[in-house]
Amino acid sequence: MDIIKTLIELCKAHGVSGDEHNAGNAAKKLLCEYMDDVTVDSFGNVYGETKFGGEKKILLDAHIDQIGFIINYVTEDGFLKFSSVGGIDHRLLPAQEVIVLAPSGDIRGVITSIPPHLSADSNKAPAIDELYIDVGYDSEQAKSKIPLGTRAVFCTEPTELLGGRIASAAVDDRAGIVTILRALELVGKESKYDISVAFSCMEETGESGAKITSYNADCDLAIAVDVSFANAKGEDKNKCGDMEKGAMIGISPTLSRDLSGALIKVADKNKLPYQTEVMSDVTGTDADAIGVSRGGVMTATVSVPIKYMHTPVEVVSVLDIENSARLIAEFLREGTI
Amino acid sequence: MTELLKELCLLDGISGDEGRVRGYIIDEIKDFCEYSVDNLGNIIAFKKGKKTPPKRLMVTAHMDEVGLIVTGINDDGSLNVSAVGGIEPAAILGEKVRVGDKRISGVVGSAAVHNISKEEREKSPELSALSVDIGAADKSRACEYVKPGDSIAFDSDFVKLGENKVKAKAIDDRFGCAVMIKLIQSEIEYDTYFAFLVQEEVGLRGAKAASYSINPDVAVVIEATTASDIPGAEGDKKVCIQGNGPVVSFMDRTTIYSKELYKLAFDIANEKAIPCQTKTMIAGGNDAGAIHTARGGVKTIAVSLPCRYIHSPSSVADMRDIKGSFELIRQLVQRI
Repeated sequence: MDIIKTLIELCKAHGVSGDEHNAGNAAKKLLCEYMDDVTVDSFGNVYGETKFGGEKKILLDAHIDQIGFIINYVTEDGFLKFSSVGGIDHRLLPAQEVIVLAPSGDIRGVITSIPPHLSADSNKAPAIDELYIDVGYDSEQAKSKIPLGTRAVFCTEPTELLGGRIASAAVDDRAGIVTILRALELVGKESKYDISVAFSCMEETGESGAKITSYNADCDLAIAVDVSFANAKGEDKNKCGDMEKGAMIGISPTLSRDLSGALIKVADKNKLPYQTEVMSDVTGTDADAIGVSRGGVMTATVSVPIKYMHTPVEVVSVLDIENSARLIAEFLREGTI
Repeated sequence: MTELLKELCLLDGISGDEGRVRGYIIDEIKDFCEYSVDNLGNIIAFKKGKKTPPKRLMVTAHMDEVGLIVTGINDDGSLNVSAVGGIEPAAILGEKVRVGDKRISGVVGSAAVHNISKEEREKSPELSALSVDIGAADKSRACEYVKPGDSIAFDSDFVKLGENKVKAKAIDDRFGCAVMIKLIQSEIEYDTYFAFLVQEEVGLRGAKAASYSINPDVAVVIEATTASDIPGAEGDKKVCIQGNGPVVSFMDRTTIYSKELYKLAFDIANEKAIPCQTKTMIAGGNDAGAIHTARGGVKTIAVSLPCRYIHSPSSVADMRDIKGSFELIRQLVQRI
């Protein structure tokens, strides 16, 4: 698998929470190459299932949705009022470009920027309520093309930086999807567990999809594959992982210490780079929902370090995706739990 | 005109590093006029008209655009930057950029929103909290591609928005450059000096030198100006309105314009049925500030294209205003 190509393909297929069908279809197509039985449920969750005759079943989960915007009003001048879907950094919204995912096709737009002469306090970041999307249409045209409830996303052409790093919107969590696909490719037919894969909807709005997918998967073990914070200028070094140092294995009171420990052992044994990510509470990933699914699931997190999370230019290293995938594949092969 | 504007906007030329824009313009005009490049990098072009006017006429636009400059390289390979010209850090956070002569791709990042305090989340970011990331894993790797002093330009495409609008970087003032190229390539009434200027965004500096050298009696400055006709701005705070034609102002922060030329512009607009408006706030400034006080004084007028989100990577202009502005300027230079 060409990781860069696959990641870019997935980042270009937009899917804001609650409207993931484009991204879901792209991911489904890719998943079909590695799994026998691939389905999509009525929410848009993507499932894959392969039996290896194992005693236990493991769920590999990544979320398919990305943060974005939802249009909730059109002004008399044709500007679109919007709300955030997921945790948007509203400081960077002024003059930011977006794609409005209208039913008749994508429409480019720019978020309004309040010029200095209009802001009483130029140090204050404008609230989302003060901002609009400018699509260049008058009210009538805008209303006819863009029904309320239409989603919008940051407009970023995925870009390859130096050293195998990619900058794009939606790296959170398309990087997780690619990691799972690559792990499936690496493991081939050698898994000790039966494998369920879920690309879950609506993580950014409260892990709703994972509640459904983990119920349906009815598994013993689970790994939530997401992204986490990598060091960058302005970040607290003690709270972040590092780029190109491998998967971040979560350790938390809400995760299975046994499963986290088993992943660490596998990494050590196979000399795979990894870093631990210690949390003291829920993880803010699908793992929180999966762990308490049905009668409880032993759950761990494997996170790919990224910089600038929840911006239009999330940066990820191909090497970290590869090493995270290898870690998962080795664990599936060894089946030490 | 739109195609020419597109090509000009896609060229990177921040203040003090206008070479690419200058080269492109020279290729476009060299067969239609005499020109020279002065010590600062201004292009001074002389175009013969059908007549020699009693007064010396100069038309100007600036080639430079706002951007960033690399001030240092951090151990983690990220680049520290300063603003070149008036840039709101909020408008560049999360944007793509091109760095240096090799135009290396980069992005503007800061700490993730999850990891900053509640107070910080409500504040616009400071430029010092941002950095440019080209993907280099450390300082030595970054130094292979970038050095302090390298220019950084926005990476922003030129696209149509809706029915009548276009979005691009650097519409301020590649629009003016495009108008002057079109005029030079056409037949004009009077002998005219056209000055393609450098360093407007850092203090109207090219204009000072060029207006001294050309020594004009009358000057027309072609510019782009802030339009704030967006929700939340009422009445005078809109400054000007897109679709209502070129802006001719009576005063801004750098210039009180010639009353005579101001009236002439509106008379021509009325006569030719070209929509035309004035600014409703005394704000902003342009090369006219340097030009009108050159030598013994120059009668000066500015004709500006209304531009939303000016000085950001995603400036928006209205194609009807582009057409109207060009037409008004074309008429104006025949009548001065």
